[in-house]
Amino acid sequence: MLTIKNLHVSVDGKPILNGIDLNINAGEVHAIMGPNGSGKSTLANVLAGREHYQVTAGSVAYKGLDLLDMEPEIRAREGVFLAFQYPVEIPGVTNLYLLKASVNAIRKHNHVDELNAVEFLKLIKEKVALVEMHEDFLYRPINEGFSGGEKKRNEILQMLLLQPTLSILDETDSGLDIDALKIVAKGVNTVRGDARAMLVVTHYQRLLDYIVPDVVHVLHNGAIVRSGDKSLALELEREGYGWIEARAAAQP
Amino acid sequence: MNPTTEPYLTQYQARADTLPGRRVNWLQAQRRAGLARFTQVGFPTQRDEDWRYTTVKPITVKKFHGLNAAAESAEFAESAEHADLQAALDAMQIKGLQSHRLVFVDGVFAAQWSHSQSALGVPSEGVTVAPLAQVLEQNPHWIEQAFGSVKPDKAHGFTALNNAYSQDGVVVLLAENARPTTPVEMLFVSCAPNGCAQPRNIIIAGAASKVQLIERYVSVNGKPARDKNSAAACTFTNSSTEIVVGETAEVDYYLVQTQSQAAYHVCGVWARQARGSRFSCRTITLGGALVRNDLGVELAGEQAHCDMFGLYHLSGAQHVDNHTTMLHCAENCSSREWYKGVLEQRSRAVFHGRIKVAPGAQKTNAAQTNNNLLLSAHAEIDSKPQLEIYADDVQCSHGATVGQLDADALFYLRARGLDEAAAGEMLRVAFVNDVLNQIAIDELKQTLETMLAARLTGNRLSSHP
Repeated sequence: MLTIKNLHVSVDGKPILNGIDLNINAGEVHAIMGPNGSGKSTLANVLAGREHYQVTAGSVAYKGLDLLDMEPEIRAREGVFLAFQYPVEIPGVTNLYLLKASVNAIRKHNHVDELNAVEFLKLIKEKVALVEMHEDFLYRPINEGFSGGEKKRNEILQMLLLQPTLSILDETDSGLDIDALKIVAKGVNTVRGDARAMLVVTHYQRLLDYIVPDVVHVLHNGAIVRSGDKSLALELEREGYGWIEARAAAQP
Repeated sequence: MNPTTEPYLTQYQARADTLPGRRVNWLQAQRRAGLARFTQVGFPTQRDEDWRYTTVKPITVKKFHGLNAAAESAEFAESAEHADLQAALDAMQIKGLQSHRLVFVDGVFAAQWSHSQSALGVPSEGVTVAPLAQVLEQNPHWIEQAFGSVKPDKAHGFTALNNAYSQDGVVVLLAENARPTTPVEMLFVSCAPNGCAQPRNIIIAGAASKVQLIERYVSVNGKPARDKNSAAACTFTNSSTEIVVGETAEVDYYLVQTQSQAAYHVCGVWARQARGSRFSCRTITLGGALVRNDLGVELAGEQAHCDMFGLYHLSGAQHVDNHTTMLHCAENCSSREWYKGVLEQRSRAVFHGRIKVAPGAQKTNAAQTNNNLLLSAHAEIDSKPQLEIYADDVQCSHGATVGQLDADALFYLRARGLDEAAAGEMLRVAFVNDVLNQIAIDELKQTLETMLAARLTGNRLSSHP
């Protein structure tokens, strides 16, 4: 579903990703772990199409399409979803308003009839219940005054609603207490399926107790230095990231 | 001889004998003082610091017909031909709003479109609503104390001219504890080409009373309107409103400007707040070629609070100058000022926010914010805070921002499938919505939301929930 080849990315002329190779098949959940500054969030943002990241080399194929050539909204409509590490507060637009506009933009792109207000409300209320949010949140301005946990749950709510083919979770676990983490994981797990894939970016192993990955990659200095199964995450938890840095230092 | 004031003085001399309440001594004294002041200072120029960013030349070089046009227009309104005006007014109604409504066409009271829960000048629910001319003729003592007492002594030429006329407008009297269930709506219609109106309003809110007031300025094409292709009439309105807010009274006031882009409006609003009162003032400016809003609030009694919100959306070559003065004269008062504007094309906005904390006004808490969204390289905003603090135990803050749409927010919306244009529209609507959400009258809020959504999005989003 997603094939990343030799991806090099710079920000303001400074190289951040130095040749990423990654292949994610439908049905798989991949976790990207790594210390701060290793390039995890850059990878997530480049895939979603954020501006001011310069791709200097490499390619990304998504469902056989050139992902890097697509505008962010086209990626979204084609089923790519980024759960933001720092969801943006937008005072003045209600959650509901955005969610409906979003669902219908995607449906329209895919030649599916747009939902009317009644159909949409029925759908969204089911999803709200899944992430154990109060319906009041729908009528509040997007993320304004939300706690960290509420913002993250709101991201998952959007994911549940949009049913993306490829979900990218950028440190969705950061700032969550264990109860919120469980709710988020439960939501994420309902989106898993044979036709879908997921890239979970996280600093800590904790999230992976609840969203069990098929493959774990360790990112360091903008490159994948090791890949393995879920036990790799436990190893990192036990040993910390120090040994990677030590090994990188030993093998320049 | 001053060539800009001369036509106005000539017109005044011709009309002075027809003004209402000519036997009321205190009123005549105020008119004479206004005329003397106007003769002395004339119209302000950009040499005057308070008018540095706004030139009134577009007004003073034109020949407006003053009260003659108003008289003509009253005849017009009464004629069989006013069907167009009736239809235009119907279209401008705030949908679903029940109100005490007084309508003025080119400054002249239009009884046929006005209505109140009871006869004008007769109290209902403790509120008395009447045209100023009627009060000046029949019950001048109702307003003797308050009339002219809230306006600044050193008025600029426009205010002085308005004082000289003191012809007609709205009088609202609220008895102690009066809490009318419907808002009072003051609707000023500019109609006759080159017509000039000088409304004068006074609102006296008794102790512990509570009221919602809407002061609206709209344009309707005058006689040539029957020719649907005719351009909007060029009109001039020089309005003045005084509001006396009694002890612990709550006054929720809306100033809504939606005139045509050929209308000129110099608008003065002055309020004085007694102890424990609350005054909320929301100024929404969408129309007009040149609009100057002078808002002055005096927190005269302890523990009074004032909210002053403003919103402007300008396009074309519109010029809007919001000039605010918040005078903290007593201890433990608070004020919050928040103006937001969206500027397109070659439009220009001025925000001048003055906060003055008088000696002894300790524990003052005053905040002022002005946020602007500039959507064109040719638009301009001049934002100027002016803090004068003569007390030592106060909290005052001010801040202004000028910017384009937030790139992070744009990306967030695009990452949810909205194209760039739709995301931009949503953010422009969002920018104004948080001020619109401060509007407590639902019908007014919805009318303005619809109006703004259409302006900011070309109707793309207005059909959404």
